[in-house]
Amino acid sequence: MAAYALYVLRRSGQFVLVVFVGINIAFFVTHATPIDPITAAIAAATRFSQADPQAVQLTREALRELYGLQGNLWQQYVVFWMRVARADFGPSLSAFPTPVSTLIWRALPWTFGLLSVATLISWGLGNLLGGLAGYYRRNVPLKLVGVVASGLQPIPNYVMAFIVLVLFGYVWPILPITGSSQINLPQGWTLAYFQSVFQHALLPVLSLVLVGTGAWFIGMRALVSNIVTEDYVAYAELGGVDRWRILISYVMRNALLTQVTGLALSLGLIFNGAVITEVVFGYPGLGNLLIRAVYAGDYSLVIGIASTSIIAVAFAALVIDLVLPLLDPRVRVA
Amino acid sequence: MRILTALSLALGGLVLGQQAQAAEDFLAGIPRNQVLIAENPEGTVTDPSNFNLWVPKPNGTSTGLQQLCMDTLWYIDPDQGLNGKVWDNSLAADKPQYNKDFNEMTVKLRPGIMWSDGVEFTADDVVYTVQTLMADPGGFNDGARMAANVDTVSAPDKDTVVFKLKKPNSRFHAAFTVRWSATWIMPKHVFEKQEKPSKYNFNPPVCLGSYKLKSFDPNGAWFIWQRRDDWQKTTLARFGEPGPNYVAYIDPGPPDKRVILQQNHQLDIIHDTSPEGAFALIKSSPTSHGWFKGFPYAHPDPTLPMVVLNDQLEKFKNPDVRWALALLIDMKAVDMASYRGAATISAIDVPPTGTYPHYYFEPMEQWLKDFTIDTGKRTIHPYDPNMGKEIADMLRPSMGAAIPKDPQAIAAAFGRGWWKQDPQAAAELLEKAGLKEIGGKWMLPDGTPFTITISTEGDNRPVMTRAGSIIAQQWTQAGIDSKIDALPTAMWSNMFNGQNEATMAWTVETWGGHPDLSFFLDSWHSQFLSDPGKFQPPRNWQRWKDPELDKIIEQIRAIDFDDPKGIELGQDFVKLAVKNMPNIPLMSYNVFTIMDSTYWTGYPSAETDPYTDPVPNWGNTKYMMVKLKPAGAQ
Repeated sequence: MAAYALYVLRRSGQFVLVVFVGINIAFFVTHATPIDPITAAIAAATRFSQADPQAVQLTREALRELYGLQGNLWQQYVVFWMRVARADFGPSLSAFPTPVSTLIWRALPWTFGLLSVATLISWGLGNLLGGLAGYYRRNVPLKLVGVVASGLQPIPNYVMAFIVLVLFGYVWPILPITGSSQINLPQGWTLAYFQSVFQHALLPVLSLVLVGTGAWFIGMRALVSNIVTEDYVAYAELGGVDRWRILISYVMRNALLTQVTGLALSLGLIFNGAVITEVVFGYPGLGNLLIRAVYAGDYSLVIGIASTSIIAVAFAALVIDLVLPLLDPRVRVA
Repeated sequence: MRILTALSLALGGLVLGQQAQAAEDFLAGIPRNQVLIAENPEGTVTDPSNFNLWVPKPNGTSTGLQQLCMDTLWYIDPDQGLNGKVWDNSLAADKPQYNKDFNEMTVKLRPGIMWSDGVEFTADDVVYTVQTLMADPGGFNDGARMAANVDTVSAPDKDTVVFKLKKPNSRFHAAFTVRWSATWIMPKHVFEKQEKPSKYNFNPPVCLGSYKLKSFDPNGAWFIWQRRDDWQKTTLARFGEPGPNYVAYIDPGPPDKRVILQQNHQLDIIHDTSPEGAFALIKSSPTSHGWFKGFPYAHPDPTLPMVVLNDQLEKFKNPDVRWALALLIDMKAVDMASYRGAATISAIDVPPTGTYPHYYFEPMEQWLKDFTIDTGKRTIHPYDPNMGKEIADMLRPSMGAAIPKDPQAIAAAFGRGWWKQDPQAAAELLEKAGLKEIGGKWMLPDGTPFTITISTEGDNRPVMTRAGSIIAQQWTQAGIDSKIDALPTAMWSNMFNGQNEATMAWTVETWGGHPDLSFFLDSWHSQFLSDPGKFQPPRNWQRWKDPELDKIIEQIRAIDFDDPKGIELGQDFVKLAVKNMPNIPLMSYNVFTIMDSTYWTGYPSAETDPYTDPVPNWGNTKYMMVKLKPAGAQ
């Protein structure tokens, strides 16, 4: 038990270090970009309208003060960490003075809903079919599933997104292709709203599942193909144990450990957002928000989203590392 | 065979039925034939609940807010205007009245106009707006402009506003004159209750326009505006009743999706799409059409894409070098590569749109034909007056009847002339400027290779990126190593900060309907020019300095906005720019605004009724509302 406690302490220290380094990288990378949020704001305000050059110079100085961007990089860095210590990423520069956290919290549920559902469906479907295909290696329909899954898996997400969009939005227009719910439908705990959200999520989820299932399928099939050659499986078969029981309890259960680790990491990556899928389907998630923040030079918002993602991924890895030794005695903690 | 045909018809019917149903179901609770659905080119709005459009923000303006809810003193139409009048006194009852020194402007206001909450609009609203903006120059977009110009503003009575200016400014009214946007008037009775007006989110907005906010997406993807019951107490009522009961501005997503949505009749106005998308849509959807009935379909906006050369760089300081670069360009190839032939070309520093063909292109055609340059070895006439016609002829075999034959129609659609590609003359000009050709490569006078990097916005603006690529190829073929840099987010910042060599952008934007060039030209005065590598405020990003240019600008400042001498001075500017080639003008910014007539008719059209710019993010879009009528479909 003492060894495990030491392990938890060491692993938690690593977590803090990873988060600290990750957020620092996010800070310096965003500040090293050539995009100046002040110039971006001025460019947006003057792009099509008449601009008085003298007034623009005055506005520029005033905005620098308003956005809190005075001082050198080191001074900004110190202010940044003082804010982060209070879990505050400051105001968004492109939606001033709305706090970055407000924008992230508004987008997060959509990304979480979309990606957790898509990830869980892909994981469940891929592992189930992969397990079956690995065990019943001569089954023709499962071989066909293998061909389809292997064929879909390398297709980039954005290509798949456009394929399902054209198929179900244009060729056979039965599903909505844009937004998170029907236009002018009030948000609320109503059946109509939930039906609409479900309907609008179908195409983005489908595009993610079609691509995502393949990787889980291939992984599980390979794992199961190895396990079925183990002696204990052969003995069970020779002993007349029911084949379904062998598959579920002896084969897939052993193979799942690796896949569960993968699932936990994938769930952590949810907080990255599915940038392209969200942009293609006009889904109001973190990926969409991130793109807009980058284009507006809003590095407060970019750092906020990146930090959320860093913390989520590092935390998911921490949880796996802490839980695995308890579940699998083969994993040593010291 | 019969079975196959029947099956095809059944499937076709099913798809059409699904399309119609999809169109009907697109909005909840509003019949499709009562709502006009337009694209908001800003995409999804980051902070949708903030309707305070006086503060700096990257989006949240073209949601219908500036088009349908806001109003201000005057509008200038970029095309020919309702009833053929480009100038409209909107909240003002008359044109601005200046004193002879141009340091005082008096405005008489239109009586009987009401805010959407039933409060009367008065001069106090205008005074409050100006004073509030002045008091917080950093907090508001136009704060610094007001602070720099206005000494005092007062309301002697409820229909009169008097501005006393800090210095003479014959164009001060431009601040309140819409060309895309302007300084909008604030409701005093709403904002005066706020402790910090620049931090107030103005939700729900109180409107002077004929529409008020009905609902909006908390995630920023759509905004719906409802026609006011008291629309007769708004300035638009002079032209009749606005047609649509509702107007929805939505984020339809990438260009391909815009095309699909319009084919499904879920998007009445596409703000802009790719040339290829527009051609495909118009070919496949009989109800979809552009500004021009035929090719090039797109609306030429009064904006002039060009190669912006950073004239403060040593290699671009000599006008002979800049002219050589212009003469190395094959404009037909640029047109085909960028707009697939659908460009409206311009050889001069004003866009070939709106009323400008009448004020500048037609009267200056002979001057351009007679214009010569000395290459150091000979004198040449660089202007090819037939370039537009040649482009039309080139496209006719593939586009057939879509290409006009009438010379006036060709000039309107494709432009007039441009500079002949003349590599020999370009080489002579480079030699005259002291450059040397060694081994097929041009060397600068200091012996280093002459190279050029053209900045573009990459996939953010593919048409301009393609133009930049072909120009880089043409310069490279001539021995000037050129490449393009795709900077989707940093191109404009770099240009503002003088970190660019050549940029595919624009430094010329005009009123479109009014010949006065001060809209962009005033900012080209050397008094605003920054040092190399320092922030340059809009719009002299070519950083060109010329005493003669300053003289023209100062003369324009000294005359009235409508003084006919302004056109002469404008033409003098064009001549000076042609002689010096500070940037290389290419074409107007053609916007592929595609309109669907399934539910609405009466859109503006180049041939039948060019009453306004159809591009729906312009403040001027409000005028479209009174011309739109239900098509009676569905």
